[in-house]
Amino acid sequence: MAMAANSTTGSTTGSITGGIVTWQVVTGSARGATHRVSGLPNQDAVASHDGPGGVVVAIADGHGHVRHFRSADGAALAVGVACRVASETAAALAADDADDQEAERAGQELARAVVADWRSAVAGQLEARPYTVEEQFILDRSADTPVIPYGATLLVALITARWLVCAQIGDGDMLAVRPDGASFSPVAGDDRLDGRRTTSLCQPDALASFRTGAHDLHQVPLAALLLATDGYGNAQADEPWQPRVGRDLAELAACQDRHWFGQEVPGWARRCASAEGSGDDATIALLLPGAGQDSGTPDAEEGAGRGQRPWTG
Amino acid sequence: MTSLAPDDPEATGPYPRMPGGGVSRRPLHFIILADCSGGMKGEKIQALNFAIADMLPHLAAWERDQEQAQVFIRAIAFATEPWWHIAEPQPVAGLGWKPLQPVPKGLTNMGPAFTLAARALAPGRIERRALRPAMLLITDGLATDPPGGFEAGLSALMDAPAGQAALRLAIAIGRDARSAALDRFIGDPGVPVLVADSSEDIADRLVAASLAVSRMSEVGADRGAVARRLLGPSGDVPSRIFDQDTIV
Repeated sequence: MAMAANSTTGSTTGSITGGIVTWQVVTGSARGATHRVSGLPNQDAVASHDGPGGVVVAIADGHGHVRHFRSADGAALAVGVACRVASETAAALAADDADDQEAERAGQELARAVVADWRSAVAGQLEARPYTVEEQFILDRSADTPVIPYGATLLVALITARWLVCAQIGDGDMLAVRPDGASFSPVAGDDRLDGRRTTSLCQPDALASFRTGAHDLHQVPLAALLLATDGYGNAQADEPWQPRVGRDLAELAACQDRHWFGQEVPGWARRCASAEGSGDDATIALLLPGAGQDSGTPDAEEGAGRGQRPWTG
Repeated sequence: MTSLAPDDPEATGPYPRMPGGGVSRRPLHFIILADCSGGMKGEKIQALNFAIADMLPHLAAWERDQEQAQVFIRAIAFATEPWWHIAEPQPVAGLGWKPLQPVPKGLTNMGPAFTLAARALAPGRIERRALRPAMLLITDGLATDPPGGFEAGLSALMDAPAGQAALRLAIAIGRDARSAALDRFIGDPGVPVLVADSSEDIADRLVAASLAVSRMSEVGADRGAVARRLLGPSGDVPSRIFDQDTIV
């Protein structure tokens, strides 16, 4: 498993799925300018894993508020747990000839398992590293439960030979890009995300706040899949930014090799995290299909997976 | 899709191609609601104009110094009726202040001014990525709205998510202007009405308010302490009015 956090980082992993499609993961993560000024670390985390079932990637954004003083740890635990669970899900999906309902259920089950395992992981860390006196004072003053300091968002995606399965809690963005440059969000939106507050793994009803989606890549081939923490989207000058980013990514995917993306994506994260952009931690995970990808059919241009939100304009 | 050259590992660029329309700081919308009723004539309106003109460079300086927000100014003047003095969001850097004039015999109807602000903060009228807006109400008198008028305007403002989330501050020119209505506009018992005892005090109060607004988006600061210092000894401001990035 490849993991990155705490500084400007980049990494790539590759996967061969069923001998048909190669997906490569390119990641970049940068500490926000405001975090640099205030001495806070990069509280985002990113991890990916390529296994026999397919490729998986997860990003997480630890909440910056003082209540969430272990959120960087919470984010790191989240991406680790998510990649492990998603790899198991991918293997199960790849082994069976899953239909669309089974793929949808796999996304929901993925969310359920991630919530349970993340809470176990937090409990394990608390056992190994209990709260200090200072941390306990903050916890008591906030009247929070012990899991609240670990609060983080999570975006996780897995790609098998046929399926894209996604799960998300909290802010951040997923953008599925088709070869023609059209793009859509593979999970539903959440009106509660107002830029100041977010749903979180640490909330008591976290599972109910997960948004999941499953998309048949035979029906809707993709040129790219972008996952990003809110430090990326909040830096974009366009509103909405998704249509142009989708078009540009499709164009870039058609003319640039993966080595180029590996060099560039960390820089994109740095620019978004800079004082020119959002000033917040920014993490990007970009999944790109390689040789063997079906370039699309007329049917594929018409349809898309269930629950997607198209971006137009 | 081009950018600048980096000098260190955490600097930006160069990027021959970056998808999208470029990056920019998050907007921080600052709406001034200025009382131009008949009672403001003479020294008060002159002091108010001077104070706002004096405040803007402070905000511009803060904008240059911090790492996150781009400040945009709008202004509503109100008397019996409200009107936009600055209708379109203007970058604070380089913004000149065109003096306000009082309305002879004009009343102090606040509700319609709130309604006007609410329209500007309605969903779709403000960027999704915008920081929590800030509103600053400056008045020298008690609200004179007809029955239900103040409440209707305040409800319209609170019905807009950005209006409800806004940091709302009020400056009363003269102790007699400090009213329960201003407390209701602020909507937080921990945030005091700033009182300018004299025309000379207006500039100081505006600077304090602008500093409070600007510091709201600075990550890592002890914001409660900042607010207490800037808003006076009675301003035991709960940190939650400044909070960002916590759970629903």
